[in-house]
Amino acid sequence: MPKAILTPTQLDQFQAELDALRAEVAADLGERDATHIRGVVRDARLNAAAGRGLLMFGFDPVSFVVGVCALARGKILENMEVGHNVLHGQYDWMGDPTLNSQQYEWDIVCHSSHWRRTHNFEHHSYTNILGQDDDYGYGLLRMTGDQKWTWRTLLQPIWYAILAILFQWGVAIQDLKLGRWFKGRMPKGELAVRAAPFVAKAKTQLFKDYVLFPLLAFWNIPRVLLGNALANLIRSLWTNAIIFCGHFTADAQVFTKDEVAGETRGGWYLRQIQGSSNLEGGRWFHLMTGHLSHQIEHHLFPDIPAPRYVEMAPRVREICARYGVHYNSAGFFKQYATVLWRILKYALPVERRPRVGAPQVA
Amino acid sequence: MDTAVNLPRRLNFSSALRSPWLHPLNDAQTWDQVLSALNPMWSTRDYPARVIEIVEETGDTRTFVLRPGRRWPGHTAGQHVVLEVEIDGRRLHRCFSLSSAPTRDRRVRITVKRQPGARVSGWLHDRVRVGDVLRLSASNGHFAPPAGDQPLLLLSAGSGITPLMAIVEDLHAHGDPRDVVFLHACRTPADFIFEGRLRELAASRPGFDLRVHFSAQVGRLDAATLARELPDFARYQAMVCGPRGLTEGIEDLYRAAGVPDQVRSESYSGRVLPRTGAMELSHAVHCSVTERVFTARADSSLLSEAEAFGLTPAHGCRIGICKTCQCTKRSGTVENLRTGEISSEPDQLIQLCVSVARSPLELVL
Repeated sequence: MPKAILTPTQLDQFQAELDALRAEVAADLGERDATHIRGVVRDARLNAAAGRGLLMFGFDPVSFVVGVCALARGKILENMEVGHNVLHGQYDWMGDPTLNSQQYEWDIVCHSSHWRRTHNFEHHSYTNILGQDDDYGYGLLRMTGDQKWTWRTLLQPIWYAILAILFQWGVAIQDLKLGRWFKGRMPKGELAVRAAPFVAKAKTQLFKDYVLFPLLAFWNIPRVLLGNALANLIRSLWTNAIIFCGHFTADAQVFTKDEVAGETRGGWYLRQIQGSSNLEGGRWFHLMTGHLSHQIEHHLFPDIPAPRYVEMAPRVREICARYGVHYNSAGFFKQYATVLWRILKYALPVERRPRVGAPQVA
Repeated sequence: MDTAVNLPRRLNFSSALRSPWLHPLNDAQTWDQVLSALNPMWSTRDYPARVIEIVEETGDTRTFVLRPGRRWPGHTAGQHVVLEVEIDGRRLHRCFSLSSAPTRDRRVRITVKRQPGARVSGWLHDRVRVGDVLRLSASNGHFAPPAGDQPLLLLSAGSGITPLMAIVEDLHAHGDPRDVVFLHACRTPADFIFEGRLRELAASRPGFDLRVHFSAQVGRLDAATLARELPDFARYQAMVCGPRGLTEGIEDLYRAAGVPDQVRSESYSGRVLPRTGAMELSHAVHCSVTERVFTARADSSLLSEAEAFGLTPAHGCRIGICKTCQCTKRSGTVENLRTGEISSEPDQLIQLCVSVARSPLELVL
């Protein structure tokens, strides 16, 4: 699928149409959005409380399974629909300090300050630009021919499986830039400073799920331990699958630094659309993905409350159709299959090209 | 280093309860929301207060009689509170003087004039009913008459009468022997807030001289009016509440009379900023944290201007996406160049990298 080419005039009109859509929705924000996010906060807490209660006080396998699912659902809602979206500043306009992007701390090992830097700033500004967007493969996976292949890459299906299982930890250490430390390009002192918020948070997160709650149910320690571990695993696998569908599907494009030099806001919009992909599904599905199923709209308007993406999507799609821009959208299983295929395919030394940014041999 | 570390550690129960190791069992926000859902008066955030009566004062002014919860620390006459309301999903804060003196039943009153086009006063008039719960801050302010035996001049215009009413009630409740001249200005007789109570006091309390000035008939009340009405004003300790123009005029009058310390004033129109048009090329920006003032050109982002001045605000993308540079604007008007939004409300969050100054500003920076 080739990238769309728009003339500068077309690009300006394209930008104006998307700006107008954003302005229209921003002007309409109000009670409905406030009620939604508070409802989800409540929903997430009730699920977590019910899940923990069932794990603590139940003895039968049915309450175990229901408890694990409820706790996993609570964690997923808190991370995806509340945490991720609140940290983007989607609800800052409410003036509610409990839903403010600079004050919210989410229930995951990744510290919110690290997340705001790697995700809100680096990933959302430099989306899919090789060498600038660390989310493109997380420095671990080769997802396009333009990335370097080494013998280690052959094992990337295994690296991917480990990443999927430990996804919250992968995200949590992203801002430590361990790669630079391994190569001796970061002094140990700097690493310690960078790691401090992560270490402090990781301790309390581990303590909560693997010490505090199991101890509170001393008659049921193994059951609670196992239940918490399973809930965390489900959360990791689910968020990983949804997030990998965001930018690694078959038709999601990558960009080079040269390509985006002098990019206008219209060009930025165009890159966000062509580098992202949507998932189709029902209301419940969209909620459980934190509306990352509307990755395209999220990347165009990261600070608009996420449930609004559902209403904006048909209009974005219509605008794209008029400008001949491919709008990448399909069902979850179809999209995720193309992601897994890319992981397998690029594990092999296929489509090898000179490494982006590497000096050209004259 | 914190020297307290070397002291023998005592087990402090309340700080142990706040330990991060107990999270989420001790999450204050969650418990507050649970308690508020059960009964809004049980909220531990701010101070909830139930509306127990609404009194029509004039055609456009109402008094809300409130009973705050037990935790509310109380007030002294002349103080104000910040009221928090949520309108269409947005929390807004407004300052209101308490119009009642402290009483044993712990009821307090705020008196609100409906301002045309103002969101909060309109909402209070249209939406608040007896039984609703409002959120108050602790009381604040130092607007109170000094002790002593000097006669008092209480001077107010419009809704500036509210803290003075609290002061009058307080003086009366304590049997204060001082003579009081109460000079109040309002547009027409129909706009006279607290008329009944004030006339009653004037009739029953010796040494209480009530003078009312209807500006629709005799023109605006200003310092010259006072000098004419009360030629020996310098003998009085003055308490003035009204628009900025009035309070500054009276302060100037007392300064000219050589007794600048004999006037205390409070104004509801906020700090007067130098008058500037939209075409003004640059504006002063006051940073309240670093206590610095810089000049921002109106055609360059506040982030660039702050950096050019030597400040180092946190920032990320510089294109209005990541919100790293977001900060609270206390006052003034900015335009968001990315969205075209104009922000003039106090205490709004703005993104420095895409905002330009449209008036002098005060930022939390």
